[in-house]
Amino acid sequence: MNIEKLLNTIIEAGKMLVESGAEVNRVEETMVRMCRCFEGIEYADSYVTLTGIMFSLTYENKTITRICRVHTGEVDLNRIDQINTLSRRICSNPMSVDELAGELDRIKGMSRYTFKETMLFGAVGAAGFGIFFNGTLLEIVMSFFIGILIRCISCFLSKHKLNSFLNNAISAGSAALSAQLIHQVLPQTNVDIMVISSFMLLVPGLAITNAIRDTIAGDYVSGVARAADAFLCAVAIAVGAGFVMYFWI
Amino acid sequence: MVYVILKSGISSFLASLGFGFLFNIKGRNLWIAGVVGAIGGACYKVSLYLGCSEILSNFYGALGLALASEILARKCKTPVTTFLVCALIPLVPGGGMYRTMLAAIRGDAQNTLNMGLQTLSIAGVLALGILLVSTIMRVYYQEKRKYLSKK
Repeated sequence: MNIEKLLNTIIEAGKMLVESGAEVNRVEETMVRMCRCFEGIEYADSYVTLTGIMFSLTYENKTITRICRVHTGEVDLNRIDQINTLSRRICSNPMSVDELAGELDRIKGMSRYTFKETMLFGAVGAAGFGIFFNGTLLEIVMSFFIGILIRCISCFLSKHKLNSFLNNAISAGSAALSAQLIHQVLPQTNVDIMVISSFMLLVPGLAITNAIRDTIAGDYVSGVARAADAFLCAVAIAVGAGFVMYFWI
Repeated sequence: MVYVILKSGISSFLASLGFGFLFNIKGRNLWIAGVVGAIGGACYKVSLYLGCSEILSNFYGALGLALASEILARKCKTPVTTFLVCALIPLVPGGGMYRTMLAAIRGDAQNTLNMGLQTLSIAGVLALGILLVSTIMRVYYQEKRKYLSKK
């Protein structure tokens, strides 16, 4: 068996999981479980944080190790689901290393929703929040349009590799600005409801959830890092919107 | 009552569904994520309607959505986070954050601290609800597996 290829493939799977936003505990477990399914592996262990992976395995009394730096990518829960299914399958009916690499490539090549779809449904989400916060019909429709605007701006900015702090601040600022402008034209609308419902699109839901789950599982390094990420994101939103709202107060 | 359930359910369903698209959930899981979000939102709004405090209602909402996502995730054999992430978002205290920020730029220190504390405790209560449910479920399924293997 080509042991180096196995190591690289397993690391690749772990990297994909971390990038798509899986919990650290799940990544560590999946990597070790996948590895143990191959015959002759005496020992496998992994150490994963948000920014890097270390993995080593022992085969015929020889231990090899690799480290891998991970950069945060775009959240992709479908990919996590697929790799999860793959690791379940590999345990019940073993496959070769090449087959595993092929499966990973297939998962990597899976399409995402197009920009138009995410824009439309992001805006539907914003309209949903409009209903949730007891908005009138006019405010709900306006939240929908501000939602479209926010998605366009944040997609444009992240395409140009702007960091997430500035990205959130600018998106939140433009949401607040457009809500204020709409309020000037249509004075019966409530600024607060429109701003809050469109803000929710920027809320770091994944970071919050994973901060909780990582901390429960005992992965304090990642738990604290994610909590800091979520807090920073919230501050960025507040700063961006506060900057705009300041002119109206 | 029925009106409250319907309205909050539909609105949080839409919100969670939107986030499902943003997080690239595919197929059947997308709709289930929406339903779990609807359960969480409805629990929250109904407890508010029945006169519970803001913080307690958030706690009940978190309990409801965490329970639903743990059970459904095991049924569908997908990671719990798939549903939990989308469903949690309607309950995240975005309004509290916004009001804290408004009070801060008005220079109203008293209100800023008040609102900030309230927002932080809501976030803490949401975390507590999820933590409680996921710990209990983990123990429950472990015990169940042990019991079944003994048999």
